[in-house]
Amino acid sequence: MAAASALPNENRYLGELGPKLYMRLGGLGILLIAGSYGLSKLMGDDSARFWRAYLVAYFFVLSICLGALFFTILQHLTRAGWSVVVRRISEGLVANLKWIWIGFIPIIVLVWTGNAHELYHWTVGADALPEGSPEQAMLEYKDAYLNPMFWTLRAAAYFVIWFVLARFFVGNSIAQDTTGDAKTTTRMQTIAAPAMLLYAFTQSYAAIDWIMTLEYAWFSTMFGVYFFAASCCGFGATLILMVSFLQKTGRVTQSITTEHHQEMGKFLFAFGIIFWAYIGYSQYMLIWYANIPEETTWFMIRQLGSWKWLSYLIIFGHFFVPFIVLLSKHPKRFKIMLVSACLWLFAIHYVDMYWLTMPSIPMEMFAEATSYEALSIDFPVSQYAAEYDLSFQFFDLTLWLGFACLMFGGAAFALRNQALIPEHDPRLYESLAYENI
Amino acid sequence: MTTLPIDNTLDDPTKRSPLVLGHDDFASVTNTICNVNERRRPPRAWYICFAISSTFLGILGILIGYLFWTGVGVWGNQNPAMWGFPIVNFVFWVGIGHAGTLISAILFLFRQKWRTAINRFAEAMTIFAVICAGMYPGIHVGRVWVTYWLFPIPNQMEMWPQFRSPLLWDVFAVGTYFTVSLLFWYVGMVPDLATLRDRATTKFKAIAYGIFALGWRGSMRHWHRYERAYLLLAALATPLVLSVHSVVSFDFAVAQLPGWHTTIFPPYFVAGAIFSGFAMVMTLAIPARQWWGLKDFITMRHLENMNKIILVTGSMVGYAYAMEFFTAWYSGSMYESFAFVNRAFGQYAWAYWIMVSCNVIVPQIFWFRKARQSILIMFIASLLVNVGMWFERFVIIVTSLTQDFLPSSWDYFTPTWVDLVMFAGSFGLFLTLFLLFIRFLPVIAIAEVKAVMPQANPHADHGGDH
Repeated sequence: MAAASALPNENRYLGELGPKLYMRLGGLGILLIAGSYGLSKLMGDDSARFWRAYLVAYFFVLSICLGALFFTILQHLTRAGWSVVVRRISEGLVANLKWIWIGFIPIIVLVWTGNAHELYHWTVGADALPEGSPEQAMLEYKDAYLNPMFWTLRAAAYFVIWFVLARFFVGNSIAQDTTGDAKTTTRMQTIAAPAMLLYAFTQSYAAIDWIMTLEYAWFSTMFGVYFFAASCCGFGATLILMVSFLQKTGRVTQSITTEHHQEMGKFLFAFGIIFWAYIGYSQYMLIWYANIPEETTWFMIRQLGSWKWLSYLIIFGHFFVPFIVLLSKHPKRFKIMLVSACLWLFAIHYVDMYWLTMPSIPMEMFAEATSYEALSIDFPVSQYAAEYDLSFQFFDLTLWLGFACLMFGGAAFALRNQALIPEHDPRLYESLAYENI
Repeated sequence: MTTLPIDNTLDDPTKRSPLVLGHDDFASVTNTICNVNERRRPPRAWYICFAISSTFLGILGILIGYLFWTGVGVWGNQNPAMWGFPIVNFVFWVGIGHAGTLISAILFLFRQKWRTAINRFAEAMTIFAVICAGMYPGIHVGRVWVTYWLFPIPNQMEMWPQFRSPLLWDVFAVGTYFTVSLLFWYVGMVPDLATLRDRATTKFKAIAYGIFALGWRGSMRHWHRYERAYLLLAALATPLVLSVHSVVSFDFAVAQLPGWHTTIFPPYFVAGAIFSGFAMVMTLAIPARQWWGLKDFITMRHLENMNKIILVTGSMVGYAYAMEFFTAWYSGSMYESFAFVNRAFGQYAWAYWIMVSCNVIVPQIFWFRKARQSILIMFIASLLVNVGMWFERFVIIVTSLTQDFLPSSWDYFTPTWVDLVMFAGSFGLFLTLFLLFIRFLPVIAIAEVKAVMPQANPHADHGGDH
């Protein structure tokens, strides 16, 4: 291909860095996760609290890898030119989806051994609830959907679909490096359309099954879209961080230019910040405005005690501040600024996942309250503060770092022998020459 | 001018397909496009269409007079469905008005070069659709002499609209959208108006186009400022594409009415609006390119791309239908479940199934390349999509209003002849404006189309390698 001959002279392979990265990061990740578990057992921590933290960290990594899958499919679907040089790095993250099911096994085991009652309340089953109570009626009604068997089968279906999609898009892209066959691109473009449909439904229902059902009574049609928007933020920040890291080590310094950084910044800004805020605002505003108790409880939990500070942190840290910082093109082209913003968003995305997953107050605590005023009078404040208020544990941090290490290590493993840009993609030339006008 | 036998629909990843066919130089592009306005008589089809549409416009005028004279009782709006055809038609037309700004603003920011052939008249269509939409709230107030109460105008009675109501937000959202779309359309047209001015054969035309061309001479400085303004307007218009229909969806979604109160409404309405807007662009583009010889600009590739967008947005709408239905069941709320089961199997089941077949099933035909490239199929599909999108608004509004919480207050909404004829009349207004636009204004952005031709590319010497 003529395109490959146009490639600049630069280091495009991980080389020795590859094994260093995936051995160290993989080892560190496993150590941190296993260590967190061991230490929390030793210290006699509440195991439900540990597994919730585990879920937060898991969703953090899952959302980023799913965001990468969306990005990769989107580039093929739209026949994008600019993104060819950064696509391989995104594919490194996508490759993690082949193995991400392993991290979910403990949760499935918890559900099947009956140890997930505090995590997923619905696993207690309708029979265990007080006879004739509204909770029992609700759970009986939802039993057709929320039972361990169907829930596990659905999870298996999502993982199989993600495995197949990841294998297809990463595998074909890498195969093209050696064959240089333009037909591979055509094939990926053809599959991209049905793949996008599969992606949309699996990621939405995974969000519903694994996050929304943490509060089985609550529901929102927007939930899947919210998780999607959040994953675009996590992925957008991660991609820029990975590219910047590789460039710092002297790799892909010529082919990926400021133009591509600006473009990645635009993706992050449009999907991860504005679209996220649009979806988050719409969901909140509509529920706040209608003020129906069965919907407002979910947000109420997140406005009580110290949780409200976390909510404010997300509003300002996930929207207002990054919006102002990244609005102009200059910060997107100014590397230190862009990388700092991405580090911040990488952290705030974790806070967003934490905010989605962590708060849990039994609905009974709300039972007596008929209004906001009544809630403040009758609400057992001290009991709440002792048991359910926002409180950080050491394993929140270690699990997050552990899973992040595994994610980066997995990407490094997937790219250990591959060029860091798709060297024979037919649109590579267009991407190399890309300029923002 | 001959059309070279080039098939630009082939999807070859090694090179980008040409977007303009059969033109070797810029002059022939200018000649062909200006000919739409400069020819002495438009094609016969224009006269026939204009006669029909202006007749309907006249009927609309008469019926608005009748409405003002008699009162809104001439419509079918009746307890419990106090919101009937006027709001259905309002939402329908606002939705149609989304494609233009999407094409001109969002596709511009996405560097989608194929937009250049269709943006001008999609934007025109947007403006005319918003005019049709804006008419309905204005005539719906009943006491037409106080229509200005829609706006928050300081007054001695200290009477204000309800700022907490999404209906007022609608006034702002649609008003802003209309203003920015109009500006965007007009700013983009200035260089082309200057072209028409310079080519004018009569004094009258030269002056008329000259006034609106704002003294454009095509200097570097003009172009520099023009491109700046265009980019800024695109950035301003982009959030508006999302905000207008989101606010329209708030009209319903903030309520507690089952079937209306669902959090996915804002993005779902936006997807539906783009869906219907593109279908309308298609409905108008197919005859226009045929009658005015614009097939070299609005090529099969353009049509195919639009069909793909119809497939994508139709699938998004399908996703929202599925998610709503699932959640209505999952919520465990008997009112929610009833609202959705009632839509599908209740007294308006016929409308619901028209909606589902037209909006979800019909676009699936575009999975096939043959269908995406068949003029007949895409024309029929575009008409059906708009039928489906009208019924979507009808289903959402009417089924929830006529059968809410109390069975004793249930009823069946029936439109009157005035409802139906006025809706037909709004098409008369829309098409009359559109036909006048084709006759007198540049239908394709001449300057922008030239910029996507190979001659405009300074790096065109790579032998088609990219």
